[in-house]
Amino acid sequence: MSELITETKLRQLAGEWIDGGKPVAGPVRIEQRALYQRLQSPEALLLESNSGALRPANSIKEFFFPKQETLYQYRLRGRNIELIEPAQEFTEQLIIAARPCDAAALPILDHVFNWDFVDDFYNRRRTATTIVTVACRAADESCFCTSVGLGPDDTRGSDAMLLDLGSGRYEVRSITAKGKALFSGKTETSKESGKAAAPPEVKFDPGKIRAFVDGHFEDPLWAEHGRSCMACGVCAFSCPTCHCFDIVDAGPVAGNARVRTWDTCQFPIFTQHASGHNPRALQPARQRQRILHKFSIYPEKFGEILCTGCGNCVRNCPVGLGVLNLLTEIQHGQHL
Amino acid sequence: MNNATQLEPKIFEPKILAYVCNWCTYLGADLAGTTRLEYPPNIRIIRLPCTGRIDFNLLVKAFEIGSDAVLVSGCHPGDCHYTSGNYHARRRWILFRELLDLLGFDLERIHFTWISAAEGKKFQQVVTDITEKTRKLGPYTELYAPAPTSIQTQTKDLSQPQPFQFQTFATEDQLRAAARQLLAEGTVKVVIGYGERGPLLATRPEDADRLVWNNRSTANLAMYLKRKEVKALGRPAIVIKACDERSLVVLEKESQFERKEIHVIGMACDGMEQPRCTNCAVRTPRFADTTIGQVPDRTPTVQPGKLDSLMELSRGERMAFWVREFDRCVKCYACRQVCPMCYCERCIVDKNQPISIDPAPGTKGNFAWHIARAFHLAGRCIGCGACAQACPVGIDLGLLNLQLARAAQKHFGYQAGVDPSAEMLIGAFSQQDKEEFIG
Repeated sequence: MSELITETKLRQLAGEWIDGGKPVAGPVRIEQRALYQRLQSPEALLLESNSGALRPANSIKEFFFPKQETLYQYRLRGRNIELIEPAQEFTEQLIIAARPCDAAALPILDHVFNWDFVDDFYNRRRTATTIVTVACRAADESCFCTSVGLGPDDTRGSDAMLLDLGSGRYEVRSITAKGKALFSGKTETSKESGKAAAPPEVKFDPGKIRAFVDGHFEDPLWAEHGRSCMACGVCAFSCPTCHCFDIVDAGPVAGNARVRTWDTCQFPIFTQHASGHNPRALQPARQRQRILHKFSIYPEKFGEILCTGCGNCVRNCPVGLGVLNLLTEIQHGQHL
Repeated sequence: MNNATQLEPKIFEPKILAYVCNWCTYLGADLAGTTRLEYPPNIRIIRLPCTGRIDFNLLVKAFEIGSDAVLVSGCHPGDCHYTSGNYHARRRWILFRELLDLLGFDLERIHFTWISAAEGKKFQQVVTDITEKTRKLGPYTELYAPAPTSIQTQTKDLSQPQPFQFQTFATEDQLRAAARQLLAEGTVKVVIGYGERGPLLATRPEDADRLVWNNRSTANLAMYLKRKEVKALGRPAIVIKACDERSLVVLEKESQFERKEIHVIGMACDGMEQPRCTNCAVRTPRFADTTIGQVPDRTPTVQPGKLDSLMELSRGERMAFWVREFDRCVKCYACRQVCPMCYCERCIVDKNQPISIDPAPGTKGNFAWHIARAFHLAGRCIGCGACAQACPVGIDLGLLNLQLARAAQKHFGYQAGVDPSAEMLIGAFSQQDKEEFIG
């Protein structure tokens, strides 16, 4: 026996949350692409069965770790500085129709946000959020979840998962208590069972990759691969797991606030010292850093690969890079 | 107590910020003071050395900190203490007003005047007039106000994976042969070309076979000429299409390289189904060292596009449109990085002492950034569309550049990168530049 929900009921559910003043986010169509956004209305939600969308070009991390977050504000009073706590509310929020590769990133990120410093902002949003994923109905050539141990219906990080049954109906698999509570009383029982897309082929072995990168810090491969990188932040900012940030003082125009913003190791000024010296002087070193962090440093520290194989860095890269191309090259090349 | 004064309706007292030059208008204001001329106290004066040094971002910033109107004022033409600062300023304002118009700023709230040191009376008059006018307009609440906008988004089938497909053009072999020869002879150290998945930097003769020439060869490779990583390789050859060749013209004009230091492989191109291809006239590069293929020029039929529909909206709707678009910006700076013209060693947004552009990706910070990016490209952008193509959240940044390109054409008959002998638009001026908007 399985639980079933119709698309209409699902949209109703989203509508109830929105009407109750609780934010709902999900994939939305923006011009030529799908993006996760906060929904203004339940109709805006882009669901697989009616109009597809392979996967959104951004990730759901922004609902836990927003692109800008006011840590506190300050007021200058003569020679004294008065600190003002932000009026932050961590209302319950719902993310609907996220992809499994987005949800899986959250348990991975939990480690770093609770490591040497316990990040209250992140944790409170985590607690307040219910994540409903939808099992993938298609994979493209940039998808590689299976290479990092995940799959099109992997439930890691999900509170509930929807599996498309066609004609606007979904099987609901509640994973956590939050997921059960969300769908309680909204579903009907059925004998049907949903099925995800065929998993994409395994494209590399992360163990081999780690062995290679650990032993080849200086290798012509990095320059060969990394010099065509243009040093933008597309890969990191659309990555579900990249989590580096900068803290900036947005001056009087922004209300004298200390703000946390996303940052990336691909920007030259990321490692620039005050003296002008830059330990990662050229782009290949920055590309290497991104791969090392994901496939060697993070696994060493936290026992997890910092990548869910979503393929966003590959699809979004303006110059056709992204981790997959390099990793397959390492896997199949002469480098091993 | 006088009850009459209590009942008097409260009138709106606008805040007006004035950026004035040190030598003329500031002295004019001083003269107004010393001759005891009365003018409304609504104006706050900021003195700067010269109108030529008034950063366009300051105008926007004035509104962001709560001004209801802005005045920019300096010496009359011919009177500039630095000979020509005001001429340069005038030319920039002509273009900048067009950009602000597209973004939905209220041009009625932005005033430009020439006031000399002897014109205390004029200063009094100008300030009185602007205060009255702004009082009628009311507070500037429209700034960055969200609203529903009627611009429709395009639809494309997103339900199926888009397989990586391409169609190879006939001249690919010739390109490979030319690249192989250049690398083998040692004429160049690197060929900047297209590979299967994206740009390819070929450094060995055998790499030439990995070069491709197909309908996915859309990137403007001139962006690589600014990269340290590429410069370090030695003399480059660059694969260029006629449309992108215009960026080489601009870059050479701006002394970014010596023409003889690079080898240009010009590829004749019959279009790649990109939006810009429909408006393309020149199909065969004109200044290449090696030209491959031959496609005759054509007269394009210019169709009204998204910019036209945007300009038909009301000012408020235009601003709301951009508020909505910029809201998605994550400041990944892909637009800047892929632009061949953005070659500053240190970009203005990366400077933090002092911060001139709010680094956070909020509404203000995003407007400030996109205004700065677009306007630094005024009279320089050749419309390759790389910025919009690179944007991961689908903001059509090319619209901002197109508006400025049209303004350059309309007011100065100028097109960036077309005529190598033409004087650059920004950095030059003419005494005949229009000034009907300057009081």
